Amino acid sequence: MLCACSGEQFKFDEPPQSPESLATRDFSASGLSSRTTGDWESKLEDFQVDEAESTLKEALSLNYEEARALLGRLEYQRGNFDAALQVFQGIDIKGLAPKMINAIVERIQYRKPRSKGEIVPPSAMSMHSVSLLVEAILLKAKSLEELSQYREAAKECGIILDILESALPNGIPEGIGEDCKLEEMFHKALELLPALWTNAGLLDEAIASYRRVLIRPWNLNPQKLAGVQKELASILLYSAVEATLPPQLQLWGLASPQSNIEEAILLLLVLMSKVASGEIKWDGEIMDHLTYALSIVGQFELLAEHVEQALPGIYNRAERWYLLALCYTAAGQNEAALNLLKKVSGCSESKNKPHIPSFLLGAKLCSQDPMHAHEGISFARKVLDLADNHNQHFIGQVHKFLGVCHGNAARISLSDSERVLLHRESLNSLNNAALNRKEDPEVMYSLGLENMLQRNLGVAFENAIVCTEMMAGNSVKGWKLLALVVSAEQRFKDAQTVVEFALDEAGRIDQFELLRLKAILQIAQEQPKQAIETYRILLSLIQAQRDNQAKNPEQSHIFKSEVLAERNLELAAWQDLAHIYTKIGSWNDAKICVDKAKFMEFHSPRSWHVTGMLFEAQSLHKEALVSFSIALSVEPDYVPSIVATAEVLMKLGTQSFSIARSFLMHALRLDPTNHEAWLNLGLISKMEGSLKQAAEFFQAAHELQLSAPIQSFL
Amino acid sequence: MSEDSSISEETNTPTTSVSQDTSTAETTAITTSAFNIHPETPSSSSSFNTHLAIQSLSSILTTVSPSLLSQDQDPAFYLLHNPDISSQVSSLLRLPDSGAGDNNLCRWFYDTFQSSEPQLQLVVLRFLPVIAGLYLSRVALKKPLAGFEAVLLAIYAHETTSRAGQAVTVNVPDLSYPSIYHESRRPAKDNDAADLNLAVISPSLEPHGTVRSTRRARIVGVALELYYSKISLMPVGSKIDFCEFCKVWSGQEGHELQDDEDNVEFQDNQGNADKESVITEGRIALPWELLQPVSRILGHCLLGPTRDEELIGSASAACRSLYSRSLHDINPHAILATRSLLRLSKMALDPKNNVDHTEIPMSDVISL
Repeated sequence: MLCACSGEQFKFDEPPQSPESLATRDFSASGLSSRTTGDWESKLEDFQVDEAESTLKEALSLNYEEARALLGRLEYQRGNFDAALQVFQGIDIKGLAPKMINAIVERIQYRKPRSKGEIVPPSAMSMHSVSLLVEAILLKAKSLEELSQYREAAKECGIILDILESALPNGIPEGIGEDCKLEEMFHKALELLPALWTNAGLLDEAIASYRRVLIRPWNLNPQKLAGVQKELASILLYSAVEATLPPQLQLWGLASPQSNIEEAILLLLVLMSKVASGEIKWDGEIMDHLTYALSIVGQFELLAEHVEQALPGIYNRAERWYLLALCYTAAGQNEAALNLLKKVSGCSESKNKPHIPSFLLGAKLCSQDPMHAHEGISFARKVLDLADNHNQHFIGQVHKFLGVCHGNAARISLSDSERVLLHRESLNSLNNAALNRKEDPEVMYSLGLENMLQRNLGVAFENAIVCTEMMAGNSVKGWKLLALVVSAEQRFKDAQTVVEFALDEAGRIDQFELLRLKAILQIAQEQPKQAIETYRILLSLIQAQRDNQAKNPEQSHIFKSEVLAERNLELAAWQDLAHIYTKIGSWNDAKICVDKAKFMEFHSPRSWHVTGMLFEAQSLHKEALVSFSIALSVEPDYVPSIVATAEVLMKLGTQSFSIARSFLMHALRLDPTNHEAWLNLGLISKMEGSLKQAAEFFQAAHELQLSAPIQSFL
Repeated sequence: MSEDSSISEETNTPTTSVSQDTSTAETTAITTSAFNIHPETPSSSSSFNTHLAIQSLSSILTTVSPSLLSQDQDPAFYLLHNPDISSQVSSLLRLPDSGAGDNNLCRWFYDTFQSSEPQLQLVVLRFLPVIAGLYLSRVALKKPLAGFEAVLLAIYAHETTSRAGQAVTVNVPDLSYPSIYHESRRPAKDNDAADLNLAVISPSLEPHGTVRSTRRARIVGVALELYYSKISLMPVGSKIDFCEFCKVWSGQEGHELQDDEDNVEFQDNQGNADKESVITEGRIALPWELLQPVSRILGHCLLGPTRDEELIGSASAACRSLYSRSLHDINPHAILATRSLLRLSKMALDPKNNVDHTEIPMSDVISL
């Protein structure tokens, strides 16, 4: 035996004499090869192996296997993989494995109480022997790898794991390998095995062996362990081979991952928590894998958490805010995103290079909310100011946002002159965008919408037609716009045809919205019966959908936005129905619908407005006034109630004309295209005797009514 | 596929085909009747189906010799991997009117997929990139597409039945519970469904007898989901076809990202505005329901186990184009997904990151 007193270090008193003696602790491989260059270089004959082996054995009192192991390593190091393989194949690993296992088990058992120099049971193999043999197997696997025999290599390498796993079912206790290379060799085998299976093309084996490495504590250093976890996550994410955890590993009930992507995300989250605790250093690759995986499953808030947790210095400020804004936008939290983007454009960043993507995203988000119109304009202007030929290709996009924001700003503007200016700016920008981004149907959509809102119906119609062509039916948006433009031209029948056509192509939520639009068109055509029928269909469809969702309560949070949209539509349907019944004079039905609407949403100004209309229809002026004022106390700028209040006041006699007029003027400041307000102003003027003024007001009311779309788009 | 699902598949098809076009319905009837005449064991009926498929394909293509039938190798495997067949089928598919309802090849695809023979279905999926690619790009051109639609609907219906219309969800792990990969102070809770944080990978499926234009992206997306689940069996050529169409769909060259070395952050043309090229032909709307399966497939092509240089080159070009498109659309989902893929593929190609940690240190000194 090479070292019968395992644990003791070998000491050779004599310094190395010559390569021939071999009785040295370390000997030079180059020395050996100098002796053997030539005939030994590429081909190794059996008898030469035997000769060298016996030399080694004699000189070091090595046993047969140990000598082969050493010799094989020499060959391997010199790049003679064939020869190394030949040498290693002479070692009967299967036969030796039980002995090796025993040696390791005993070593662990006796490790603590035994003091230095104590005698080991003579039958046991020494730890040095074990590690030599393990190294031999490892090198055999690597030789096979070099010869591209990956599957064989993996099998060999797997033997190392088999041995260690049966010897140490609970993993490696700390410090086993303080004086031998066993642990080091084993760790190399752990990392090599999955790579070999991967190269052999057997991905499920590779995944299984990654798991073997990870589920027991093998005392790998944290960085290496993290590396293995990262590799497993990556193979799970990208291999597209579904390899669910075997049942014996599913010890954690529902918390144990059920699919590749779950397992990958689990591993990546574990890695991120190690990064956060400083156990391993920051690794951009982990973050990118996590970003990809969470994007695929749509968990953007979770992603945002991890971007926020990144230590300072990993991202610069603007970059981090931008990434966070992307996450929040994708998660539907536009306000949060916008707040971050304002920081990027704020004064703290004024010294840094302007971050154009942030400004673009900011402009886009602002264009979706009329309340942020002016911020949107300033975001867009920033990009335009920076525009050189570096970002020419974003100009079209910027003009689009600029146009939309200008249009929105015009709608909330209280000054006439400013409104005219903003309207002009809006159309200019949108037309500019249409020239720059011919491929984008959204531009055409925004242009058509703006033209419709500015009552340029002819142009709006053309835009809407082009838009629907470009969208090729991908979205019902285009058709809805077209239907509204046509309805504004008072061609209700044509509008209904467009809606019917869109209904055929639409998905569920879109269908609900289109049904309501259809009903409104039917009301406009004075077909209350058909409209009521349409609402009935709409309400029953919503109810069916709700029953359907109730069957999967665990997925309820997924449908949150859908449920909200359905609820809003249902509320609107009840309010619309109340309106119809009021109009045709069936008070009781109207009352039922109003109550339904109020039951759903007590604080909806429209519910109170409809209540007021019902009272008013029954000539209960005081009750009507109370209802309208409740609507206005919920939303002071709710134009229909302002106009309706004025109407009631007008009925109460000449003394309240001035109050009514101020209500109407207020309504027109908020919505200059409100033809009912103009009409009532005309009525007041007429009753007061200023006929010329009245005629002007009536003229305005008439023209506006002739170009009013059937449903407000905002 | 299980026996059950193939039966329900049969019941599902008539609505699909009838509403599509009558010619396809006829051929389905023929195949089903062929089934009835030969009530054989599954294995022999499977080879029967395969031979039938090859026979009818050989009447469409010029070079598929009937001698194929006598070959030893698995004929379905041959169909899947033979480059001559692929290139011929691809070039036939790319003819201007190939998507029509009476197109022989489309009918062959439809019938072959309906045979419910997993091996043959793979052959159909192998050409899905070209079919879906051409289909979506041609929608705006108002060309006849009923043939393509029939194939896509058949695949969609197959997926709907095998999932029973259910959504595919994942449970987003919560680290406060211990798992096989980490410890945690909180004890493993037993099955408490309320604590699960479910995320949807693919929403529930409604049956579709025709392609409604607003559901077009979803139907193709679901077909791509099936393609993704079988992608490890697909030949490289099919994946390259897919990457090529991603570029066409994006309508973006992706040049502006090329010169950039140190990162793939927002990048501009290097001072040359003309370089930016938007190719409108074939450019399509890319909603997330389409981009999500596309990103999964691209992820596999770029970072999966097949280290084929041509594929990786083609996939990273596709990824650049899609990233560039998502920057133009300012589409956060797509920016985050494609950006991370691009960064990862750059890291994978960087030799610095490919150190072999299992390498045995080379030394001239042997230590015992």
